[in-house]
Amino acid sequence: MWDLDPFQFFRLTVAWVATIYATVVTLQSLWGWVVYLSGGDKYMTMVRRYLIIHALRLRFTSFWGDVIICTLLCLVFLLLWRLHGLIAP
Amino acid sequence: MSEGANDPTDVKMLPPVGEAGRPAAPDPADSVPAPERAVTVSTSAPRQLADLPKDELRTLAEEFGLEPRRFKTPQDLVAAIHGRRQLIASLDREAMLDVVRWGRRPVPINATGEQLAHEILRIKSMRFDGLSERGLVALARLRGVEVASGDPVPATVKKLKKREGFFARMNRKRRAMLGSIVSNMIGESDQAAEYQFLPPADGAASDRSGPAVSSASVGPPSSRDRSIKEEIEESGLFGGIASRVKKTADQYINQKLDEIESRIDRKLDEIDRRLAEWRDKEIANRIRILKITLWASVIVASLSLIYSYIKVNFYDKRGPGGVGTPGKVDQKAPSR
Repeated sequence: MWDLDPFQFFRLTVAWVATIYATVVTLQSLWGWVVYLSGGDKYMTMVRRYLIIHALRLRFTSFWGDVIICTLLCLVFLLLWRLHGLIAP
Repeated sequence: MSEGANDPTDVKMLPPVGEAGRPAAPDPADSVPAPERAVTVSTSAPRQLADLPKDELRTLAEEFGLEPRRFKTPQDLVAAIHGRRQLIASLDREAMLDVVRWGRRPVPINATGEQLAHEILRIKSMRFDGLSERGLVALARLRGVEVASGDPVPATVKKLKKREGFFARMNRKRRAMLGSIVSNMIGESDQAAEYQFLPPADGAASDRSGPAVSSASVGPPSSRDRSIKEEIEESGLFGGIASRVKKTADQYINQKLDEIESRIDRKLDEIDRRLAEWRDKEIANRIRILKITLWASVIVASLSLIYSYIKVNFYDKRGPGGVGTPGKVDQKAPSR
């Protein structure tokens, strides 16, 4: 008899679809930026330098609270994953 | 060349004594010695000059301050131009820059020697106050006056005036009188603006040996500004007035350009500030989205963990019909 667990099905489906979608969208965006910024004219050189300057001007102290929360959430997620592996191997 | 002559900070200006006599040079060591620069003239230059048509040759000779009518044959004119080029190449560049500053001619700082000489040859003034001694010697040589290195300043000025000629002097006196009348009519303001070189032209400094220097480091700037009287004396009534009008228009345009430039700078700063704000907001927004995604993932993982715990410990032990799953029970049995 085919035993389908709806929750497992939902969880695995969401995990796969969301991971693949996020990966494809991220790679598409990165490739678009690479193509746009790899131009050889002087204006594109200026844009590249301007982006570098803005990146150097960026102060992470403005976002450090959210960054720490994200790091902790990642740790919690890994711990949950590990616990899940221990409970239901 | 002596070290003192090359030092731009050690330049002695001629005192403003009008057209009367002039005190003797204070120190012969400070006077401009004979040029020692190696003159390198291309051997192909006379041949190229000889190939030029007569009218072009005459125009070129006039640009070099020569009178073409004095030379009977084109060969003589070519030789004279060649000699003038040699003379220009032998002149001290700093001395020529002194003359340009004194004459307030518009030249870029990296102008070539010939460009400087062309501008100097357009200066017709006989008021030498504010001109350095080395500049006076350079000016005299370009005007065709034979000046020895040890000649005192009054002797050089006297030679220059003698070179000017009777009719030219009379015309200058007439223009000076006209200039003083116009100056009295319109009222002269004695504002002294500091001389500034034009922006450097690309590729114009091919014959310069030293590095590019700014106008402030070239030498002591002359604070002498030409009055309308002097301009009329030098260029005539209409030329002087036109020069003054042009100067006023230039000042107005420069002022407007400065205003436009400052406005553009303010706009650019505003754009930069807004872009930085947008960048910060965008990054904060992205991090917030990431945080929400992580929260959702953690919540779903927690629910999944609870579900797995309940399923493993309660549901799977009893089984669907109240009996535990044999496989699971058998696996845990030895550990107990």
